[in-house]
Amino acid sequence: MRVSEIMLKPEKFPVLPARTLLKEALEAMGRSNLGIACIVDERSHLLGILTDGDIRRKLLKVQKPFSAFFVDDALVHSIRTPATIRPSSTLIESIELMGKKQIWDLPVVEESGKLVGLLHLHPAIRAVLGMDR
Amino acid sequence: MDPKIINVGYGKVAKVPIGGRLPLVFIGGPCAIESRDHALMMAERIGKICRKLEMPWIYKSCYDKDCRSSPDSFHGMGVDRGLSVLSAVRDEFGVPVVSDFSDPSWGPATGEVCDLVQVPAYLCRQTSMLRAAAQTGRPVHLKKGQFMSPWNMKNSVRKIEAAGNDQVLLADRGTFLGYNMLVNDMRSFPIMMETGYPVCFDATHSIQLPTSMGNISGGQREYIPYLVRAAAACGINALFMEVHDDPDNALSDANTVLDIKYLENILGQAKVAHQMRLGLLEKYGEDNVHLEK
Repeated sequence: MRVSEIMLKPEKFPVLPARTLLKEALEAMGRSNLGIACIVDERSHLLGILTDGDIRRKLLKVQKPFSAFFVDDALVHSIRTPATIRPSSTLIESIELMGKKQIWDLPVVEESGKLVGLLHLHPAIRAVLGMDR
Repeated sequence: MDPKIINVGYGKVAKVPIGGRLPLVFIGGPCAIESRDHALMMAERIGKICRKLEMPWIYKSCYDKDCRSSPDSFHGMGVDRGLSVLSAVRDEFGVPVVSDFSDPSWGPATGEVCDLVQVPAYLCRQTSMLRAAAQTGRPVHLKKGQFMSPWNMKNSVRKIEAAGNDQVLLADRGTFLGYNMLVNDMRSFPIMMETGYPVCFDATHSIQLPTSMGNISGGQREYIPYLVRAAAACGINALFMEVHDDPDNALSDANTVLDIKYLENILGQAKVAHQMRLGLLEKYGEDNVHLEK
């Protein structure tokens, strides 16, 4: 089974423009019930990802007041070279990659760099186990 | 964020770019336009000093002072008369001009004459003001409110950008420390620079003691040189100071305006401090010590 069959389409997870404030990104993540947001340029090319874990680590490190932290560009606190997969990748190799990296989500990116979806671990496992049949 | 350069000056006046590693720009003049003759005299005298120092500059004077402490204080010449004086200054000396405006409906007229339009600090987060300033199509001089954190100025910048203008100069004019007292947090400059836009230090309003004298503001002019040197060494792109030939009898901000007899001295020091700062940047690179990754 291929990633493209199971991945969430961009309207189902936070895909945010480059100049989104951190506060706005956190709100978007909250609304989608996902611990990840993808930040893209005008051509939908992936610029970075922001995850719950990144923010958790930042909270222990950043010394600035929350009011200043919140108005930072989300991109500043994002991972700029995240692990990604192709739509044509298999679910098995994608789940293996997530296990190896200890992550729950993988942005799905075409060769051109365009973001086309997000593979979330739960639907991927359900599909592999045949639970959706 | 890559530093942006804003370009002040249209038509036949001098073109004054501000930002990056360009020379320090002086923005100055009497707080209020007092008369046509006074404005022209001040522009001539300031221009002479700036030419001597080879310092690019913009003439500043306002046609309406809407934030005076008392209803009896001089309020200004008004939009039409005031702008005609600024227009005369442009024509006579070929210098770009700036005035603030305090009502969104005055935006179009202000932008028609002024090369740079200024949003007063007290109004720095009013959406209608920011939109009006942006829609003039001129670069916008946006002063940080005394009640605002430097990082929250980003919201005001975004309002200007949302109205289609990407030419902004952000100024620090002090932050309230309790009542009737301002202090300068030099961190304001690098923080506001994170927006990518150039920053300006307003020295004469920074030493203001707002409404400290009951129905007018006081000021401690003696600290102007100290703060100017500190700001220029910290890193700014423009220096703003209100200047008068007879401060005691100035019609606005008499307790804060700089006596023109000190202008050359202070601008000279600011220029040296700025050049030293640029030299340090060349030698040691950008300040990125402990920058949050």
